[in-house]
Amino acid sequence: MSRPPIKGVLVTGTDAPAGELLVRALLNDPTIGHVLAIGQRRPEEALPIAHTARLTYLQVNLARERQVHDLLFGPARDLGVEVVVHTAMSRSAMAEGGGVHALNVEATRALLQLCERHPTIRRFVLKSFAEVYAVQHDLPVLIAEDHPLNLHPNAPQYVRDRVEADLHACVRMGLSPLQIVVLRCAESLAPGTGSQLFDYLESPVCLRPAGYDPMINVASLKDIVQALACAVRAPEQGVFNIPGYDTLPLALAIRKWGRVGIAVPGSWLTPLYRWRRRLRGHDFRYGMNRRRFHYSGVLDGRRAREVLGYTASNQVDWPIG
Amino acid sequence: MPLLPSLANVIASAMLPDEDKKRLERLVYADAGHGYDAFGLHPDLVAFGQVLTAPLYDRYFRVKSKGHENIPSAGAAVLAANHSGAVPIDGMMVWADVLRNTEPPRVARAVADHFVPMLPMIGTLFARGGMVGGSRGNARTLLESGELLMIFPEGVPGVAKHFRDRYKLQDWRVGHVELAIRHRAPVVPVGIVGAEEQMPQIGRIPISIAGLPFIPITLTPFPMPVRYHIRYGKPIPVHLDYRADQADDPAAVREAAARVKAAVQALLEEGLAEREGIFT
Repeated sequence: MSRPPIKGVLVTGTDAPAGELLVRALLNDPTIGHVLAIGQRRPEEALPIAHTARLTYLQVNLARERQVHDLLFGPARDLGVEVVVHTAMSRSAMAEGGGVHALNVEATRALLQLCERHPTIRRFVLKSFAEVYAVQHDLPVLIAEDHPLNLHPNAPQYVRDRVEADLHACVRMGLSPLQIVVLRCAESLAPGTGSQLFDYLESPVCLRPAGYDPMINVASLKDIVQALACAVRAPEQGVFNIPGYDTLPLALAIRKWGRVGIAVPGSWLTPLYRWRRRLRGHDFRYGMNRRRFHYSGVLDGRRAREVLGYTASNQVDWPIG
Repeated sequence: MPLLPSLANVIASAMLPDEDKKRLERLVYADAGHGYDAFGLHPDLVAFGQVLTAPLYDRYFRVKSKGHENIPSAGAAVLAANHSGAVPIDGMMVWADVLRNTEPPRVARAVADHFVPMLPMIGTLFARGGMVGGSRGNARTLLESGELLMIFPEGVPGVAKHFRDRYKLQDWRVGHVELAIRHRAPVVPVGIVGAEEQMPQIGRIPISIAGLPFIPITLTPFPMPVRYHIRYGKPIPVHLDYRADQADDPAAVREAAARVKAAVQALLEEGLAEREGIFT
């Protein structure tokens, strides 16, 4: 079945691997007329992709509403952009403050508001995160889209911002003339993605709470990009979980990553990882991940399969078998 | 993790009879990609569970069971059993009994109280054997996948009841039939005789330690070698007797739950009438 052409797609967050790979995937699709890639780097440093006539890269600070406005009602309108894929989000769990919130939440809000009154944009895709979900002993292991969100008052800004941006997009669904798609993606075990688990696995020795070995689900970047590409074209709006191919216990993930896993009393982990962060500059915060290091939480991707046609098919590139 | 699957496999291979090993190779489960299902079940640890429970099942509690033909060999079903014994060994014995006496072997996916996944080691080991935390979402997913659920509708009050209340079913919750009606599964009543006397409970200390909801005060420091008698009754076809939308009808659900409770009570009475003594 031939796919209808899309005149233009705007992708934010192309400094990060998912955004960059999405741009590549869209450029490989001949039915997409033009890709407008947005990042924070200067054009000469951005996107190691052969610039074709179908690609425009612009350096835009999404935290500045005026710049967002001028982007949408300038180049995006001129190129006839029909779909916006918003993947830009601060990646560091340590980044906090107003500036980070402006990028994580206010940029999403501004983009949505402006897209709603835009003459050519009809679809908005938000790349959200599995981290928005609460993981607890008394909640289902298999996480459907109606699973409780992590609204814990002590949740760090990394989580709060993601939940707020996600909820804002969800709130606009049905009220907005746009078709809005929120993809809650499993963590990608890849550098530069902001994955807490990836940072955790960077240590040669990975400490985990003794007596617990929860099931986790991780995704390859290929699958995340495939899901985003599906969402660009799908006729439906809604919230969709995007699980990865790999569902396995944490201890096995540590082993497959070629690391040594050591189980220690859970109460030791927060201080130990705090020291690791201070001494080695790592990003992993154990306190933020404590519950999912105790209790299983695996995304249920049935809706994405049925509605978007997305099925995880690419394993994470495990260093060991 | 308490035990790696490879080590569990070595132990199970060494200790299980060839016939059981061959049977367990026919175990059907939904592999999520690395040998585990999404809830953490691993067939090697199921086999290891059979090894681990064998001394208790065969020698200590000398389990006698009947009515296995009432357990569906495939498809979703709910086993609803009475619960007792201060420590929930009854669940382990039913789990082992179902695994040994179904063809192809089925794992009874025990729906445990919320505190069980919080227990270090035990929560993980039980999950590897097929246990899931007692949330509606977990039960729904398993039934939709055609699994066999094991539910104790009395919950913790069943395990916690005083010795003088033995074989008197406690407040019989209705969630199991609601799930069965909604997800079109029959309910198999299960009567467990013997567990009530294994560790007579005369009181409890209402303090929570390591996730456990209370500390039982028992006459014996460990379970006595009572004989277990497990009976599986005829499936109650709540999926045929009620429409799926009646899962939201409190009266229909209460009525269905009362049928299951009566069936379990009848199985208990039959078992009590038939047994010759607590230890025989």
